[in-house]
Amino acid sequence: MNALITISVLAVLVLYLGLYKANKALLPVTLLGLAVALFFTINHWNVFTGPTFNDMMSYDNFAVAFSGITITSTMLILLLSKGYFEKISDHVAEYYSIILFSLAGILVMVSYHNMTMLFIGIEIMSVSLYILAGIRKQDFASNEAALKYFLMGAFSTGFLLFGVALIYGAAHSFDLEAIKMHLETNLQTGQAISPLFYTGVVLMAVGMAFKVGAAPFHFWTPDVYEGSPSLITAFMSTVVKTAGFAAFLRLFATCFYPLHDFWMPVILVITIITLFAGNITALYQNNFKRMLAWSSISHAGYMLFAIVSLGSEASYGVFVYAIAYSAASIIAFAGLVLMQANTGSDSFDSFNGLGRKNPFLAFTLTVAMLSLAGIPLTAGFIGKFIMFSNALSSMHTWLVVLAVINAVISIFYYFRVIVAMYFKDAERAELEIPLNFKVVLAISVVATILIGIWPAFLPNVI
Amino acid sequence: MNLLSVLVFSPLVAGLIVLVLPASLQSRYKYVALAATILQVLLSVLVWVRFNPSLGGVNNEHTLQFAEKLSWIQLNVGGDSRLQIDYFLAIDGLSMPFLLLTSLVMFVAVLSSWEITTNLKGYFALFMLLDTAVMGVFTAMDFFLFYLFYELMLLPIYFLIGMWGGVKREYAAIKFFLYTLFGSVFMLLIMVGLYFSVQDPLTGDHTFNMVHMMNPANYVDGSLFAKFSGQLLLGIPARSLAFIVLFVAFAIKVPIVPLHTWLPDAHVEAPTPVSIVLAGILLKVGGYGVIRICYSIFPEAALGYAWWIGLIGVVSIIYGALNALAQRDLKRLVAYSSVSHMGFVLLGIASVTAEGISGAMMQMISHGFLSVMLFFLVGVIYTRVHDREIANFRGLSQLMPQYTFFIMVAFFASLGLPGFSAFIAEAFSLTGAFKSAGVNGLIPRWMALGGSVGILLSAAYLLWTLQRMFFGQLRLSGGEPWRLLLTDVTIREKIALVPLAAMALLLGILPGVVFTQINTSVLDLVKLVNP
Amino acid sequence: MAVFYLVAFLSIFFSLLVIFSKNPVHSVIYLIITFFTFTIHYVLLNAQFLAIVNFIVYMGAIMVLFLYVLMLLDLNVNSEPVKSSLMKIAGIVAGMCLLVTLAGALKGSGFLPAGAHEEVVQRPNLGLVKNLGQVLFHDFLLPFEVSSLLLLSAMVGAVLLAKREPREI
Repeated sequence: MNALITISVLAVLVLYLGLYKANKALLPVTLLGLAVALFFTINHWNVFTGPTFNDMMSYDNFAVAFSGITITSTMLILLLSKGYFEKISDHVAEYYSIILFSLAGILVMVSYHNMTMLFIGIEIMSVSLYILAGIRKQDFASNEAALKYFLMGAFSTGFLLFGVALIYGAAHSFDLEAIKMHLETNLQTGQAISPLFYTGVVLMAVGMAFKVGAAPFHFWTPDVYEGSPSLITAFMSTVVKTAGFAAFLRLFATCFYPLHDFWMPVILVITIITLFAGNITALYQNNFKRMLAWSSISHAGYMLFAIVSLGSEASYGVFVYAIAYSAASIIAFAGLVLMQANTGSDSFDSFNGLGRKNPFLAFTLTVAMLSLAGIPLTAGFIGKFIMFSNALSSMHTWLVVLAVINAVISIFYYFRVIVAMYFKDAERAELEIPLNFKVVLAISVVATILIGIWPAFLPNVI
Repeated sequence: MNLLSVLVFSPLVAGLIVLVLPASLQSRYKYVALAATILQVLLSVLVWVRFNPSLGGVNNEHTLQFAEKLSWIQLNVGGDSRLQIDYFLAIDGLSMPFLLLTSLVMFVAVLSSWEITTNLKGYFALFMLLDTAVMGVFTAMDFFLFYLFYELMLLPIYFLIGMWGGVKREYAAIKFFLYTLFGSVFMLLIMVGLYFSVQDPLTGDHTFNMVHMMNPANYVDGSLFAKFSGQLLLGIPARSLAFIVLFVAFAIKVPIVPLHTWLPDAHVEAPTPVSIVLAGILLKVGGYGVIRICYSIFPEAALGYAWWIGLIGVVSIIYGALNALAQRDLKRLVAYSSVSHMGFVLLGIASVTAEGISGAMMQMISHGFLSVMLFFLVGVIYTRVHDREIANFRGLSQLMPQYTFFIMVAFFASLGLPGFSAFIAEAFSLTGAFKSAGVNGLIPRWMALGGSVGILLSAAYLLWTLQRMFFGQLRLSGGEPWRLLLTDVTIREKIALVPLAAMALLLGILPGVVFTQINTSVLDLVKLVNP
Repeated sequence: MAVFYLVAFLSIFFSLLVIFSKNPVHSVIYLIITFFTFTIHYVLLNAQFLAIVNFIVYMGAIMVLFLYVLMLLDLNVNSEPVKSSLMKIAGIVAGMCLLVTLAGALKGSGFLPAGAHEEVVQRPNLGLVKNLGQVLFHDFLLPFEVSSLLLLSAMVGAVLLAKREPREI
């Protein structure tokens, strides 16, 4: 709770800083505040005693872990933002504070214990993102992204809310534990569970699938990701996605678990469609940013594995996968931002010859691509490994075989970047990499490789 | 620090040194790499000397030698499952010869890297990484660790071909990468399946330990891969499926017909040192994997599919040889001859007789030296005139007598002239194949006959090439400039070639040097597969 | 129950009209009627507070939206419709208010057989403002407070998006 309060107060503080034109202090203050929030979050580790605030929130290790990832990723992304928003607008403080509001919503999303909190968390996050997607007011793509995201987001929220309402109608509670109890007692005593409940579960699954960008509810993703400013896209595809999955998993793993047999096939189908839709479309992209957007859809598919096969390792799998994916994506987007700032282009060809001119950047991007592709000794491999072994242990052989085929397909498009950087020569100037980018790239690469070699250093969730 | 760990990670250290050294010392990188490989050769000789040939190893953890076992990844993943992955290095007779082979081949490969001129830092760093990975594959006894090293081999090769290769390098690199990766991702699935089926008898945790996987008693009752559980996977018995998947994964590396098409492309586009490593070591990883993993973990499936494996071996022998006959590019010819020669390995393994498996082991080692020699020799011509069309050269013996001597040694050794290692190897493989029909009835006699035809064909293409390129009137398509460029072998090249030729000869005359070292392990393996 | 079915039918009927009418002005009018029917539902469910909030907020909001659409689409071209549609709205609002009052009165008089819903009959205090306040400011205090973040964020964002950027012009 302290973290949530810190971030909320921080957002208001940043607004005041903007009011008094203290633009230089914005980034340091924000980072400092986030560090404090991170400290408060980690302090909660292993001290969980039960849900708090009238059972509204539950700060268990799951919540702490995911709050930790999201806050850290946000810090890394904000570190990249030095000088970025200034180019877009004069009102820099507002951007920071909106990002912080969004993060506050995310913290609610990962630690809710009541459906109202889930809904409010998602809304705080989404409303902030609608604005962030459209902050390039003069840019048509950005406007389109904001509008599309808003309409689709509102639509999915409708589904979600309808689902919540139906479940309330059936179970007479918003509380996750109470709903689970309702299911369990009904299943034990052989009482029929109201059809309202089933409908509600499906509607909530649809709403969550919308939010995490899983097919067939993914159509907004590429346009929104491409149209938004790159840093905001980085935020959306890492922090927001992680939070979405944390919320998704929490809902289905703790609350709807007794109905696993009912909703599992639904999620299974969604997973398979997501994998293929994301991977195959990503193959045909010529634009790095759009490729990342589609690849993020396919990664949503891999993360859905955890929900399909809710084994004991599900939370841990999503946790590791989210870290791996976030670290690699942050590197990729950092590279993208640099490339756009220097050459104004984000096609694959603009990466030609980067290996010679910017060996460090090329190396980090290579590690990121390898990690996204799931090559061993990177964090991405460990993530996929846990997901696959988890699914195999619950005998989803076909699913894993399909996923493996997809992993091979993904090699093609991730390696296009590597091929461009190393195998293709082009006359190009050396990119200038500011110090803050170097720091972020180094941190992310070290994390990626460290987890790949020695995953045991990550704490165990659950 | 265990000897094997030093052997595995010393190249990595050298690679890091190369990375740290400033660019002004660029011309010194190769010496760092050379020093590392010389150290490695010395270490592997030490291993060879200290190796105790009376201990079998294979499926008995206590008779594995130089073992080093550390707990590496231990994750409490909730509930009763605990992810247990060990850092477990050890060798037995089946892997020990490969250590010496690898270190020698790497030494030669570094010597032939003198021709590389661009981006030396990246080149040598990747090369040393590759060295570490290969050594790791041959020593790892934990399946997970094995898999990591196995995959780790891919990336350096991919970059080495893609960045320093020929015109179509991009295509060749990704083709190589995808072929191998496609095999290995499915291997990953089987590996995970095995993990869930096998328990460490001491701790009761699931384990990736290969030695435990070889013992049927360690399988959880009713688990996916338990021997008598009769589980079906996608319609066929799970263990058979697992065997097929693993076999295909390794057979792509060997390579077998029809999964060999990456090999000629990769060889043609790769720079000479990479060709050397590919032919000399990576193909052996495939054979080694078949013996170490497919046969040892799924023996009954191996027996069941012996006929098919033998057939694939014979087809590879004959198809590779016929293709080699038709090649116009010298390097492609050598590449196809590799396909043909590696067919003997499969044939020998399929027979599951002591002779056959010893022959297969011998063939891998012998082919390791000989193919390296051949690719090195092709590289010698190629660096001088950047051409290797057979038709463009004629009567080279007059221009390069010493070179011709080496190539004759290599060719005659390859075609199985008595006195050279390939003769012993092929003779033993074929003996095993012949004997098999009488002993265990696994493969019919006509397959052994087919293999013999392959020897005949290899004599045909090698001698024909020798005649076309080296004898007769001197005629070069490049004319006078080529004449000046085509100087005879230099001292550096001799340093690389002489040990290889010597090894081929030594193993041909005194095959016992290898056979005594591997014999106990081979017998144990035969007993394990066909009790 | 008959009242419920009637109102439910009206709700669905007018919702469909909202979607299918080509003229946006008509759409908005149907939307207002739909909201009126919702208000009646709330009254039947004994949810006083919701009924009033729905009445005030949605009516207010929708009126503003309606005017906005009028301005945006510039329907002034034919001067006639403006007056008539305003009249229409006034008529509809008045008529619907009457309907809501009637429904409430019917309910109060016990005319509705067996109440609108079992639950309502069993717990007559359900949905009263007092109870709602107690729940909202006790059990659901946290969501109530946290939603201020949502409003603040939306407000900041709205200002940000609406504000003119001095540089870019």
